[in-house]
Amino acid sequence: MGWSAYILVGFFSASLFFLAGAGALYWAHRNGQLNNLEKGARSIFDEDEPLGEITDSFPPKRKAAPPKS
Amino acid sequence: MNTDPSLLQSLSPKETTGFDVRAKLREVDASMRAPAMLFLVSAVLWLLAGTVFALIAAIKATNPEFLSAQAWLTFGRVRTAHLNAMIYGWGNNVIFALAPWIMGRLSRARIRHTSILMVAGVFWNLAVTIGIIGILKGDMIAVEWLEMPAYVTPLVALSYALVGVWVIIAFRWRQTEHVYVSQWYLLAAFFWLPWLYTVAQIMLVFEPATGVVQSLTNWWFAHNVLGLWLTPVALATAYYLIPKVLGRPIHSYYLSVIGFWSLALFYNWAGVHHLIGGPVPAWLISAGTVASVMMVIPVIVVAVNHHLTVVGLHKQGWASPTIRFVVFGAINYTVVSLFGSAMALRHVNEVTHFTHFTVGHAHHGVYAFFTMIMFGGVYYMLPRLLAREWPNAFLIRVHWWMCAMGIVLMVVALQVGGWIQGLQMNALSEEGTPVYTFLQTVENTKPWLWARSISGLMLLIGHLAFAVNVGWILFSPKTEDQVTQPTLLTEAE
Repeated sequence: MGWSAYILVGFFSASLFFLAGAGALYWAHRNGQLNNLEKGARSIFDEDEPLGEITDSFPPKRKAAPPKS
Repeated sequence: MNTDPSLLQSLSPKETTGFDVRAKLREVDASMRAPAMLFLVSAVLWLLAGTVFALIAAIKATNPEFLSAQAWLTFGRVRTAHLNAMIYGWGNNVIFALAPWIMGRLSRARIRHTSILMVAGVFWNLAVTIGIIGILKGDMIAVEWLEMPAYVTPLVALSYALVGVWVIIAFRWRQTEHVYVSQWYLLAAFFWLPWLYTVAQIMLVFEPATGVVQSLTNWWFAHNVLGLWLTPVALATAYYLIPKVLGRPIHSYYLSVIGFWSLALFYNWAGVHHLIGGPVPAWLISAGTVASVMMVIPVIVVAVNHHLTVVGLHKQGWASPTIRFVVFGAINYTVVSLFGSAMALRHVNEVTHFTHFTVGHAHHGVYAFFTMIMFGGVYYMLPRLLAREWPNAFLIRVHWWMCAMGIVLMVVALQVGGWIQGLQMNALSEEGTPVYTFLQTVENTKPWLWARSISGLMLLIGHLAFAVNVGWILFSPKTEDQVTQPTLLTEAE
């Protein structure tokens, strides 16, 4: 490929990158994703894994070898 | 939901009704069980293989005669096999296990048609295996991070596309209103990698550019695999798991949005800093340096968010294997990124360029940050997928201590040694002649390289402990009294 072809590939891919980003930001704005962010931060919690509860720790030490089944 | 959607229904952009039931977390977990297992077991096997390649290469740095009789075990090939096994074998497989799972959970959508993910998993691992054999055999392409021979490209691209599409479909069928910051990072990462890979394949493999453009494209690609693929996935995992495990929302969610968009804006420019001092137009390097320094913004944002979310809950965090690994990774993200911005300054780069400092920096990023967060993700995911506890706390501790201390030793040894190496290579006497011969500067790095080999041995021990625990949990019985509970691990001690 000649220089012009590389520049074309570069320009096309850079435009794709930029337009996709700009499009996503525009969508986020239109969709209301940027409003009420504090509520959004809590969206990962629910009744199964609620706010205020630690959900991971080291497994307990075993008192005896578990029965084989 | 009564029946499963057909493949066409899942892919159709117009399909709207019938399958819009909000999935419970454990339904998402169950849907991802088989593919996650396939990807995770492959990832762990690649991790072990990559560590062995790394150790061989590390020992060769101090003892060049070690295993040098066979062509396929020479330094150039083993070191490259190590890099590719770690990035495409370990890194991508573990991402393919974690990313769809996190996306499904956040979207409250079960992962659909997982048999296709399984096929993708088999193809992907086949491609990496052929690629690594190709590298060892001498077929590698002389482009860093893209060394796998061109004949595996179609297989790599196809299997990646299958995984990527499934992550996007999980998002497409989301049953949640808000798009959480981790979803943004994951979507972006799964869009950016194919974009990078396509451009790099066109410009470096199929119609290779020559000269300066080739190096520029090479480093644009290589740095962006780290910056636009590994980094966003690791940040997505941390943004999901830190608040999730601690039961506390992210400290400042506003900042996380700024962090995401500033990363998207600045990171893709930064790769040129690998060519500082090279025969590249100066304005390009300046642009890369500016972007590298601008990365301080998203880094500080992430640092504020990740660290202040944990403040006050250190004891509980320490009692959680997930948080130990993820917070270690998050701390190192802050440190390694600030180091990276500093290294992009011309005066600092004069010393660090072409030294082991850069090697230390690469491991700081890919291991101390990315890999440690992935370990944390696996510690959280696996018990939920399998409805089992981790069988052995001791092995988790061995894994944690060996990997945390091992990588700290490696980074300190390579960066202190590399800095001294750089100063010695640049040192000039008053007459303007070099103070050290090149051979002297090489000899002086030996103690540091020995320390690196020892750190590699520590990492190997940690990885073996991890592999044993993963194998053990796969074959251990269900934790019966807790199977129905969403949280499978017990309360903090």
